[in-house]
Amino acid sequence: MMQSSTLSDNLGRRRINKGRGYFWTYLVIAVVFLLLEALGSSVPVKVRSYANDIAAPVLTVLEQPIRITQDGLERLAGVSDIYLENQTLREENDRLRQWQETALQLNRENERLKSILKVPGREVPTAATGRVVGASGGAFEQSVVINIGHNDGVRKNAPVIDDGGVVGRIIEVGYLSSRVLLTTDVNSHIPVRLERTDDLAIIEGTNELFIEVKYLPQTVTLEVGDRFLTSGHGGAFPPDLPIAHVVSIVDRRPIVRTTSNIDSLDYVRVMNYQPKLPEETLIDPEDQLEPLSQAGDQDEQDAPTGGGR
Amino acid sequence: MAIKKPLFASFGMAGFVPIVATCVCAIIMLLPIGSVVTTAMMPHLVLISAFYWLSSRPLLLPFGACAGIGFFLDLWLGVPLGLNMAILLCTRLFVITQLKHYRGRSRVLYWAIFSVLALVLYVVAWGITSLVSGDMIPIEPVARQWGATVIAYAPIALVLGRLRRLVM
Repeated sequence: MMQSSTLSDNLGRRRINKGRGYFWTYLVIAVVFLLLEALGSSVPVKVRSYANDIAAPVLTVLEQPIRITQDGLERLAGVSDIYLENQTLREENDRLRQWQETALQLNRENERLKSILKVPGREVPTAATGRVVGASGGAFEQSVVINIGHNDGVRKNAPVIDDGGVVGRIIEVGYLSSRVLLTTDVNSHIPVRLERTDDLAIIEGTNELFIEVKYLPQTVTLEVGDRFLTSGHGGAFPPDLPIAHVVSIVDRRPIVRTTSNIDSLDYVRVMNYQPKLPEETLIDPEDQLEPLSQAGDQDEQDAPTGGGR
Repeated sequence: MAIKKPLFASFGMAGFVPIVATCVCAIIMLLPIGSVVTTAMMPHLVLISAFYWLSSRPLLLPFGACAGIGFFLDLWLGVPLGLNMAILLCTRLFVITQLKHYRGRSRVLYWAIFSVLALVLYVVAWGITSLVSGDMIPIEPVARQWGATVIAYAPIALVLGRLRRLVM
């Protein structure tokens, strides 16, 4: 009896020791990965890009029932106040018609003046439109996976917008999917200007719904409704894109939120804009993915990408 | 005669249930459910599932499975590669070495142990992420996600318990 107990103990101890061996092996692998990340190696970025390509189609299929359920719930919730909403929309429609006339008139005038002064256009075309299929790393990173990639003309560092304004920029590109670093991420620092006064500032993410405005001159007092537009400084984003607005002021502290629908992202547009970043931050796009075509090569050579996280 | 310890194979197909259930939790974490920004409030379902299965059937979630699930979670969540891998490995090491002290005790004690373990793991993960990114990341969202994970433990453990009774 005693002998059997000793045998059992020995077997158990051997198993635990073997298990600890596995633990240390895998832990060393994890530490190596973390070191590669810390040293800024391109290996984790490449691996992650390919992994997103594998996951994106699966997530696209899996998120369909969720979208349908969410849409259904929203519809159900909307039925109760549909009459009130209809009334509000009619009034808003009337107001918007008046604004449309004014905007068209101003646009015509603007075009005419531009042609007289020979001002070059600043419109940035869309490279591709995609859908958000994957969520972010929660409390540690604010990013999303979209179902368009290199094959659709998406390039690293390209700005991403929705109908409200700037959503973020591309940080990883796979063939079929890409990862967007949101403006709310703590690593996101974007030069902006206050639309009302033209004062410059930097907008920083906090890994939460609200964002911080830094380096705004102390003489400037923010008001509810103030909008921040990208200034174009640093070259990461084209100028004049709406990015954030002041939603309220609590104890003289402005609460700033993104103008984009960052809390319910669905379709997003990747802009065909190649950031003009300082030379030391340039990364050869060849490092990340093989080019698709000769034309693609030319585009990438002409337009450097870069600016790591 | 030596007492025969159960092997993974002795559970048959049911032996894969913990791994599959944890993978399903990982997929749920990846899907854009609700708000993108409020994913900071998304509980760490994989950690809950791993702790539950390790506390009830440690054999069925070996170190290799923990490392693999953690690796793929890191890849797809976009967090530093190796972070969740290390978290799940440490969870398994903790459970297999400490389970003898709390096995068979009340569910509240399991919950309390999970809360403390998750707190330690989140603080370590916060430190590692800050080191890797070269900047201190805000602690508030991390604390909030820990809170959400702790609150979510009870209902998810209940569902996993039902599943365990159903298939094993």
